Amino acid sequence: MHSISLRKPFYRNTIHLIPVISRFGRLLSLLIAIIFGVINVNAQDWIKTGTGLGVEKIRIAVPDFKASSQDPKDVELLKTFNDTLWNDLDNAGIFDMASKSFYPLGQVGAPADVKFEAWSAAPANAAMLVFGNLGAANGNITVQGWLYDLKNTASPQVLGKQYTDTATTQSVRTIAHKFADEIIFRLGGGINGIAETQIYYVSSRSGHKEIWAMDYDGANQHPITTLGSISLSPHISPDGSRLAFSSFTGSGWEIRMFSFDLNRLVSFPRFAGTNLSPAWSPEGGKLAFSSSRSGDPEIYVIDQSGGNLHRITTSKGPDVSPVWNRKTGSQIAWVSGRTGLPQIYIMGSDGTNVQQITDTGYAVSPSWSPNGQFLAFSWMRHYGPGAPGSEDIYIMDIVSKQWVQLTHDGGRNDFPSWSPDGRHIVFQSNRSGSLQIWSMLADGTNQKQLTTSSSNSEPDWSWK
Amino acid sequence: MPTGEIFFEHERWGHNLAWSAALHVGVTVVIIAYAWFATGGHGSNWGAGGGGSAMGVSLVSNVPLPANPVQTQSVLATESKGLSKSQPKPAVEEPTAIPIPEKNAKRKPAKQPTETQRQPKPEPQQQASNVVPFGEGGPAAGPYALFSVGAAKGGFGFTGAGGDFGSRFAWYVRVVNQKVSENWLKYEVDPRIQNANRVYLTFDIDRSGHPSHIQIEQSSGVPSLDTSALRALQRIDTFGPLPPDYPGSKVSVEFWFDYKR
Repeated sequence: MHSISLRKPFYRNTIHLIPVISRFGRLLSLLIAIIFGVINVNAQDWIKTGTGLGVEKIRIAVPDFKASSQDPKDVELLKTFNDTLWNDLDNAGIFDMASKSFYPLGQVGAPADVKFEAWSAAPANAAMLVFGNLGAANGNITVQGWLYDLKNTASPQVLGKQYTDTATTQSVRTIAHKFADEIIFRLGGGINGIAETQIYYVSSRSGHKEIWAMDYDGANQHPITTLGSISLSPHISPDGSRLAFSSFTGSGWEIRMFSFDLNRLVSFPRFAGTNLSPAWSPEGGKLAFSSSRSGDPEIYVIDQSGGNLHRITTSKGPDVSPVWNRKTGSQIAWVSGRTGLPQIYIMGSDGTNVQQITDTGYAVSPSWSPNGQFLAFSWMRHYGPGAPGSEDIYIMDIVSKQWVQLTHDGGRNDFPSWSPDGRHIVFQSNRSGSLQIWSMLADGTNQKQLTTSSSNSEPDWSWK
Repeated sequence: MPTGEIFFEHERWGHNLAWSAALHVGVTVVIIAYAWFATGGHGSNWGAGGGGSAMGVSLVSNVPLPANPVQTQSVLATESKGLSKSQPKPAVEEPTAIPIPEKNAKRKPAKQPTETQRQPKPEPQQQASNVVPFGEGGPAAGPYALFSVGAAKGGFGFTGAGGDFGSRFAWYVRVVNQKVSENWLKYEVDPRIQNANRVYLTFDIDRSGHPSHIQIEQSSGVPSLDTSALRALQRIDTFGPLPPDYPGSKVSVEFWFDYKR
């Protein structure tokens, strides 16, 4: 697949412009601008901005791409492309999607078709416009896409891309994902989009609990393992090349390793007792997991090659479900039952500096956010006879210990896992009657069910 | 058997008894009077409750404090609307009096030079090319208007200084704004602070989008607010690469934080 960038003509800066909104800011910036203008020494670009200027979601219009060739088969591909692109941008969580019924009449297939006033005026009120065309020839499709800043009529183009690939539904989806990710990367502050990410999970639709994978939006669900046993807690490596999980074998629960490079299981040391929930360190060199080889479940760290095993918790009571700080790799959060009911703790990756995070209820399944700032976990804040018994997803800011409840539906929600952009969380919930995988924005909004058949659980979002 | 009064010689104490009684009564009266007057005469039920009538207390929503007598208005302190300086008023000259010729005067008055002849020609004023001509700067239509208006080349007309990053890549400015706002955690500020001065930070964004040279340009006077603003920037790894069409190697940003609880 090829992608080339449609570059705009290059021209020099001519005037000095400063976006400021507030009244005081206007005066100040005016004075600064005059000073800069009069002195005429500084050819440096300056942005002057501040908080409280009304940060809202970017209002974006995404009209359907125009067909650049007349082939009946293209209509289907075009629809797939348009739907995928729309959903990717809608799911990103940073856009306010202008409804299609508000759009001006007439298709927009090329820059010459853009009527700036019509798009930026009511009712569309769009700040950004995504448009382009799709055509097929000789079994290949070509997609041209643009992103325009409608408020800037002089140099509106933010992005222009052209993609070529074979004319299949899957490749059209991939192109739409790539283009959506480019847009999200530009307008989302340098954070890569998640349209091409995968979610690994446990599904029992084959009769056994096996590890499955799907696209982030629930499409393209397919099995990874066919062990005919019980496989749990899948965790994909940071580079996406290996999948660690635990599986029940004749001798107990073992850590298993699947290689996507070899497309088969690769060997990993076997230990006595129950070995569960292998978690990758962010650089991919180590795994933390819980093992009851010494009697009590404790946290162990091991090289991903299987060597250099050492134990890092020693307390009485079970210690399970380790996860690494995804930003620094120097801390591990885990669940400990040392004070009775399970609670979340964090410690240094060498086992020092233990700190209790939750102190009431029943807290399990920690997941560390990609920026290292938050822990998502599942919490029954009131546990015991007479308590409502609902289990919900919470996130907590580790430094301030402030927490936010994200799910409120009363069902049992568990196993949260962060998306690599830190804006989404995938989790399992039984609110629909059976155990299924759901995703939501990290503020709890936009909750969507991703799986429907049989029972699906323990999702793990890929690192990129 | 004779009976005899043993104590026939009684002491005469009736007088003293009268004095004593009078003194006791007097002391008692003084005590009662003191108690009555010194304590304000509560009566026998003081402190027992329920004796007095209820006092009417009503809440007033706003105490009518004296209003600020001086109404200050935030206006540009010039007399010429929209200009940064007052324009000088043109001096109006009093018309010179024309002498009334005397009656029957034979000689004509000497011919006065005409208005145009009397005034010397004004010298053409030389103005430096890089100065906004005094009084001709136009209304205060600053470049900020471009952000919402969208005309890239309008507004302020000085050229050659700096770039037009803010107008050409308004979307990038918006990203910077959003990202800093997202990463500013207000709870890091001292909770006792209700209001603070604006804190100004400056930093550079290199081509990869990484912020560097983060500095406090002007402190708010509240250390925890300054620190929270610095941390907001330090938390950010990248704003995303600078637009590929932008020729410069970096962009400098001045960012302010307004804090209100």
